[in-house]
Amino acid sequence: MHMADALLAPQVAGCMYALSGTAACVSVWKLKKEDNPQKLPLMAVSAALVFAGQMINYTIPGTGSSGHICGGMLLSALLGPYAGFLSMIAVLAIQCLFFADGGLMALGANIWNMAFYGCFVGYFCFWRPFVRSRRFGQSDKNARICISAAALLGCIVTLQMGAFSVVLETTASGITDLPFKQFALLMQPIHLAIGLVEGLATAAVLNYVYSSRPELLMDVDPSSDSKARGSVRSTLVVLGVAVLVIGGGLSLAASSNPDGLEWALFGNEEDAGVKNMGLDEEDYGAKSPAADRAQSIQERTSVLPDYAFKDSDSAAGTVVSGIAGSLIVALAAVLICMAGGFFRKKKRLE
Amino acid sequence: MNKLETALRDLSEMDTLASGSSCIHRLHPAAKLIATAAYILVVVSFHKYNLGGLLPMGLWPVVLFQLSGIPIRTCFYKLRIVLPLVMAVGLFNPFLDHTVLYTVGNIAVWGGVVSMITLMLKGVFCLMAAFLLAATTPIDVLCGALRMMHVPGMLVTLLLLTCRYAGILTEEASVMTQAYELRAPGQKGIHISAWGSFLGQLLLRSMDRAQELYDSMLLRGYHEHFHYAPIPRFRVKDALFLAFSGAFFALVRMLPVVQLLGSFAVQ
Amino acid sequence: MITCQQVSFSYEKDRPVLRDLSFTVHPGESVGLIGANGAGKSTLMKLILGLLPCMQGQILVDGSAVGKDTLKEVRRKLGYVLQNSDNQMFMPTVYEDMIFAPLNYMVSREETDRRVDAVLEKLGIGDLKSRHNHKLSGGEKRMAAIATILAMEPEALLMDEPTSALDPYNRRIVIRTIRDLPQTKLIASHDLDMILDTCDRVIVLSKGQIAADGPAGEILTDRRLLEENRLELPLCLAGRS
Repeated sequence: MHMADALLAPQVAGCMYALSGTAACVSVWKLKKEDNPQKLPLMAVSAALVFAGQMINYTIPGTGSSGHICGGMLLSALLGPYAGFLSMIAVLAIQCLFFADGGLMALGANIWNMAFYGCFVGYFCFWRPFVRSRRFGQSDKNARICISAAALLGCIVTLQMGAFSVVLETTASGITDLPFKQFALLMQPIHLAIGLVEGLATAAVLNYVYSSRPELLMDVDPSSDSKARGSVRSTLVVLGVAVLVIGGGLSLAASSNPDGLEWALFGNEEDAGVKNMGLDEEDYGAKSPAADRAQSIQERTSVLPDYAFKDSDSAAGTVVSGIAGSLIVALAAVLICMAGGFFRKKKRLE
Repeated sequence: MNKLETALRDLSEMDTLASGSSCIHRLHPAAKLIATAAYILVVVSFHKYNLGGLLPMGLWPVVLFQLSGIPIRTCFYKLRIVLPLVMAVGLFNPFLDHTVLYTVGNIAVWGGVVSMITLMLKGVFCLMAAFLLAATTPIDVLCGALRMMHVPGMLVTLLLLTCRYAGILTEEASVMTQAYELRAPGQKGIHISAWGSFLGQLLLRSMDRAQELYDSMLLRGYHEHFHYAPIPRFRVKDALFLAFSGAFFALVRMLPVVQLLGSFAVQ
Repeated sequence: MITCQQVSFSYEKDRPVLRDLSFTVHPGESVGLIGANGAGKSTLMKLILGLLPCMQGQILVDGSAVGKDTLKEVRRKLGYVLQNSDNQMFMPTVYEDMIFAPLNYMVSREETDRRVDAVLEKLGIGDLKSRHNHKLSGGEKRMAAIATILAMEPEALLMDEPTSALDPYNRRIVIRTIRDLPQTKLIASHDLDMILDTCDRVIVLSKGQIAADGPAGEILTDRRLLEENRLELPLCLAGRS
């Protein structure tokens, strides 16, 4: 989800820098007030850990693919939101400088998209309510469920928000001609899957920490049960919010007026020389040899034949275009990898 | 080779590059930082159809690469990380934007195609500039520039400490991964049964490390201040570098350099 | 210089790590602290440095009891060389690591720079001054770690396994360096040959208590005593049997 410089207009990048900078200043101020000198080395080592940990591949059972942990959620569970946010900045800055992962100018936006949501939303909306809920103290099993739920929901929701921000920022920058809705449709489902995997991986790690050294986790105080504040109600409220956010995001993305992506591919066929084949939607039913031929060509050449969603409800179409979008992204990724291999080979030959 | 080893190699490669001693390496870090930021800003500010205007901007990094003796290909290898999202976004433009900008013979050139190429070039140029900055400036020197620009001390120290330990922990994680792979032949990545304990173990050890690190700070009289080597002075050549870079950016941004050169050549 | 009076400590209740420990390290003395894994060597070091609180008894450093109010004063007199140099050297360069302590103790920049140069020259590692910490080899790291501690000019040195994971050549250099240092020294190690080379007195810890305390020449040649405490004769004394 690292944004590149090219995807942002200077104004948007500046805005994001200002937002992230403000959050960073508040965090620094909060930490100074907290005055816990031990926190700085802890933050640095945790950040380094997340940096390394994000490169460990976790195999997803049943598939050939792999995922990794979610840094923001892990850091805020270990350090709290403010320290976690600053640590995440350090991670992103190093990724940006040494690995060209995300651009210098886009750093502000990246911090916002990944660190801000992951740490602040993840902590205040998920980690703290769940861990402080009454249920948490009831039994070990409940505690584990709470931790897992917080990690899982936190990762999914914060990643959705991050992905949505990427869409917003890119659209606001006027970089892409892809309509907002379609772009969101492309990003959100992919990041739903990523969030799920990251959430599971993060939950596994946090549960391990809980079972061996619970005192390392924020808000978990095994010695005193009386400290367990909050209630199931707050958890429910948060869950409700989460459902609203996810549901809202999805429905926003799914509410379709004729699909832009479909239109895009359709339009492309038209302009690319299949122009006179009478494939306007109005003429769709027209029977003529030319139209039939045209239709078959259309079917073969278009990724999403028009009638595929004509009769089914638009949600199904949404899924299809989501998958198609993912495929296109995957294809692009493969192409890049091949290009990378080409350069490496060339390098070796030299 | 797994990701961690690649990362370690990348880190040490950047380190080797940054420890060079060319004239670019010796420039003041703040000058380089400001120039790079300005460069990226100018590159990004070009209109999406202004491919001709953007092209000459590529000269600045190319020249600096030559001056610093850093091979450009080391930088292009890094493109694999940056390009996917840019591609994902840019690839749609030719499908969506059919404004005819030019006609070459019988072929109409769509705005979408031009804007896609512009977008990708912007991505490449920005990467080149950022890479150049990182490859010619060791991180501690760069942090010196940040301190000079009044970035909060806590953040700068955090960045430096993280850098110091990122390499160490990456190496540790890499060794762990290798040990895992040796006992799990043919497995790709970490199996779900070890999801928690694998990184969890490293996490617990790291927390002990943080404690020891803090002890070591305390024993040497730490109280909220970190002291660094003094920041080098801003000299005339640094100012000249900034001025020349700025002038070049302004020139390319204001004047249609490509057209001017083209028409000059035709005449 | 360092006096322990009936010191006890435990991490968990009913499982004491140190029991009723009493001994004195006199100024200028070099004392080796040996014992099996888990005998309490590191814990003792941390107690002396005030990183852990004494549960019973007290520890005196240069006449003042280690406690909250005296921490600053005590720590200024003691230099602790960690076993893991990476954890000790957290700054980007060797130079910045060396100035960390003096500047924290309000020594002026000029005086600090003078100290740094003097220490580097004394240890013969002047070429390391501007090197990055993460690029040092194992031996260089250990020497640099000792240098960072010497730059704060402590009156006594506490060292935890100073020769672990070093190749024979670097180990020899470190041993020579330690032997030539005039400070009071307390060295915890399993490297008994090194202890024999650098210390004049040895304390054997066993299960949190002092099993033996005496001149290095006597204790390190007592095969029975050493083997009772899960140790062995130093290789140079063991002969080839």
